[in-house]
Amino acid sequence: MHINLKNELLQDHWFVVGFGLAVLFATVTLLGPPLAPFDPWDMSFAPISPPTAQHFLGVNDGGQDIFSELLYAVRNTVAFGLVSGLVALTLGVIIGLISGWFGGFVDTVLMRLADVLLAIPAIMILILTAALLRPSPVVLALILAGLMWPTISKAIRAQTLSLRESLHIRAAEQIGGGNWYIIRRHLMPEMFPLYLIGFAAKARMAMFMEASLAFLGLFDPSRKSLGMMISYALKYYYMDIWWNWLLPPIGCLSLLIMTVTFLAISLEKVLDPRLKQTMGERTA
Amino acid sequence: MSLSMDKLSVLYHDGLHSIQALDEVSIELKPGACLALIGESGSGKTTLGHACLGLLPQNASVEGRISLNGQQIDYSDETSLNQLRWNRLAMVFQNGAANFNPVYRIINQVAEPLIQRADIGQAEAMLIAAQALSELGLNHDECNRFPHQLSGGQIQRALLAMALILDPEVLILDEPTSGLDAVTKTIVADVIQKARSGNKTVLLITHDLEFAVHNSDTITMLYLGQIMETLPAEDLLTSPLHPFTLALSRSYPAMSTARDLGGIRGDAFYRTVHQHGRQEGEAYRHSHIQSPGSGHESSHAPPTGCLFQNRCTQALDRCRTEPVALELIGDHQVRCLRHGIVSILDLKQVEKSYGDVVALRPTDLTIKAGEVFSIVGETGSGKTTLAMTAAGAFKPDNGTRVFDGHDMDEWIRRDYKSLARQIGVIYQSPAESISHRFTVLEAVAEPLKIHGLCRNSEERLERVIRVLAHVHLSTDKAFLGRYPHELNMGALQRVSMARALILNPSLLIADEPTSSLDPSVQAKVLKLLLDLQIELGLSMLFVTHDIGLARKISDRLGVMLQGRLIEFGPASLVIDKPLHPYTRLLIDSVSGLSRKSFNSGSSRVEPGGCPFEHRCTRAKDVCKKKNPQMLERDHRSVACHFPWDRPR
Repeated sequence: MHINLKNELLQDHWFVVGFGLAVLFATVTLLGPPLAPFDPWDMSFAPISPPTAQHFLGVNDGGQDIFSELLYAVRNTVAFGLVSGLVALTLGVIIGLISGWFGGFVDTVLMRLADVLLAIPAIMILILTAALLRPSPVVLALILAGLMWPTISKAIRAQTLSLRESLHIRAAEQIGGGNWYIIRRHLMPEMFPLYLIGFAAKARMAMFMEASLAFLGLFDPSRKSLGMMISYALKYYYMDIWWNWLLPPIGCLSLLIMTVTFLAISLEKVLDPRLKQTMGERTA
Repeated sequence: MSLSMDKLSVLYHDGLHSIQALDEVSIELKPGACLALIGESGSGKTTLGHACLGLLPQNASVEGRISLNGQQIDYSDETSLNQLRWNRLAMVFQNGAANFNPVYRIINQVAEPLIQRADIGQAEAMLIAAQALSELGLNHDECNRFPHQLSGGQIQRALLAMALILDPEVLILDEPTSGLDAVTKTIVADVIQKARSGNKTVLLITHDLEFAVHNSDTITMLYLGQIMETLPAEDLLTSPLHPFTLALSRSYPAMSTARDLGGIRGDAFYRTVHQHGRQEGEAYRHSHIQSPGSGHESSHAPPTGCLFQNRCTQALDRCRTEPVALELIGDHQVRCLRHGIVSILDLKQVEKSYGDVVALRPTDLTIKAGEVFSIVGETGSGKTTLAMTAAGAFKPDNGTRVFDGHDMDEWIRRDYKSLARQIGVIYQSPAESISHRFTVLEAVAEPLKIHGLCRNSEERLERVIRVLAHVHLSTDKAFLGRYPHELNMGALQRVSMARALILNPSLLIADEPTSSLDPSVQAKVLKLLLDLQIELGLSMLFVTHDIGLARKISDRLGVMLQGRLIEFGPASLVIDKPLHPYTRLLIDSVSGLSRKSFNSGSSRVEPGGCPFEHRCTRAKDVCKKKNPQMLERDHRSVACHFPWDRPR
């Protein structure tokens, strides 16, 4: 890349904060089980006890350690968001590129399909599928990805259409570059910022969606999830548990979403030199 | 009196090697005609003159025959030969004063042939000599001077007087104008004119192309002892058929040519011939073309094949081996396997429109091998569309495209890549035509990568470095790793030139390559481009809106107006004597002669009418109704009902 990436990134506050949070969540996600002091399914502790030196965040109504539960829940939510976001991004990029570069009939078919999907509310489909078919979380993540790609591919297609008229791509075509070569060497690198924006938006949406479905109780109740924790904690909101039981999952969810957003903004700014000057203000 | 040479060959023997000065030269000179013999130095011009007079040195061997009035001259008979010299065959030697004896007065030397050959008495001879000298403008005082007291022009006149003194029937002039100023040259021209009107035969040996064009009727081009082309004199600067003739005429600073001097790619000094094997039958005679830095082995030319092929802009593989004979094409005699200069690109009636915007009306465009063709026109006249159609990047709606003798559309369908290798394109904006994510190395190597050439990265690097050196760019590692936005426009345009050249194309298409550069950088880039065009033997299509620029670089020039070429021909003619009113307007606007403001030609064109009609001062009714056809006039094509016929 053109720039001294390390220095540029370290000078960017968005990146430093985002990266710090990302390291924290990555550690939790990867090392959650060994870090957890107790088995989160172990119901052998005194229900609804305040935090102690042993139980950092206390114990919930079922006699389970909240801190351990939180570690497992973050892991599930992050995995769901990443899988769903990545799959949506991949689908969106491939479909957008094909649609924009080849045009014609292929374009028409793919974009009408995208329009149909855009018209369907994703949350409704997910609630119905989860309630009726009770699929595994992975399948739900994939279904969500299948509903989320159209916005990404619309953006990619629009950018492809404008890029294909640019001189360096016409020059590469004139030299004899094939479709695959031009897509790989000229189109894909040009759209890096779009991938970041697309991925960040979709991963955010997927994490939030996961929390919502869990909150509604549509997942296996034994599966640990931030949404489910919030939902259970809310039943006892009249007790003095909000700061040790309700706040941690809500805070984790917010921070997760912020992490993804911060990283996307900073990378986009730094990696695309032409956006560098204006981007900070624009996305913020 | 006619002079003819039939398969005249002259070899100078020099130890093992022989220098082939003339190779089967056949020339026919009719009474009253003047034939100019033109070639580079070392092409055998003077040898031919000397051979006619039997003045070749001892080590020369002559084959073939020279006849005067159909009678073969016997060069072994010294006495009859002496009768022939001066009386019937006279020669003006080159190098002026060196031909005179420094210790005798001019007039004595001019009278000498009279005394020696015509048995005329001393006194009478002196009178005749004085008369002859005064006819050429030397007065009494000057006649009595010694050679070193005369100027170059006066010496040349004295030499002419001496050659003419016995009223010979055949006059051979060897470089009579070299070292003479333009005004003094007219005296030589007068002599030639007089001799021709006196039904004498003149053989003019010269390298002064313009002088030859004005004073002879036929020109023979000699290259390394072989006739390459024989053509009518007036065609030399406008429509030569042999690549050598074109290249040589481009090297000559004629008043009528506007383009900067070109030159011929490569070098050639002389041609040697030698035999391997002494016995009869197994003797293998082969020739070498000696050029700077060539050894015996490296310069091995096959015994057959075209002598000019290594400097030619259109040589094929078979030009190296197949023998070439002179053939008659129109009124030219040409020695070329490809029957004269070929068209590298031939567009016929191409049309293109974007939706309801017509970018290109039916237009023809021909680019000849080795020439620079410029397209000039205002913005929106379809220049870029035409150039990109020529490059194969745009598909025309109608019309045919032929590249190097093959149908381009069929070629594109069959194997676009092999066509793309033949055509390099330089775009208007170098910053946009190179991806900003590529380094210099990646950008220049991109064509290699696309074509799967030089897969080995070291080999690729070497090739990139070679082409970068060609365009005078740095080749160090730091530069190769630079990004486009780190370079200035001049360097960037050179990078895109390197990109266009790395696949060794035969046609280069440059779309306003210098419009984003300031004048000093533009000058450097253009000079480089033209040098490369000559040295690599490229054909070039140059698109520009600047007719002043086009004048400096093009061999031929076309003016575009609203999607159509309305006038094209040799650049100097189009600029000096524009035939189309629009061309004239364009040139007048540049030179500040025209200050009239026209409603600048929007696409408001009456269907079927002439696109220039509403701005034209010469328009008549027919211009409104009928779009003019292309007329062939004065060596060019023009689309106008009423072209200008007299110069401004």
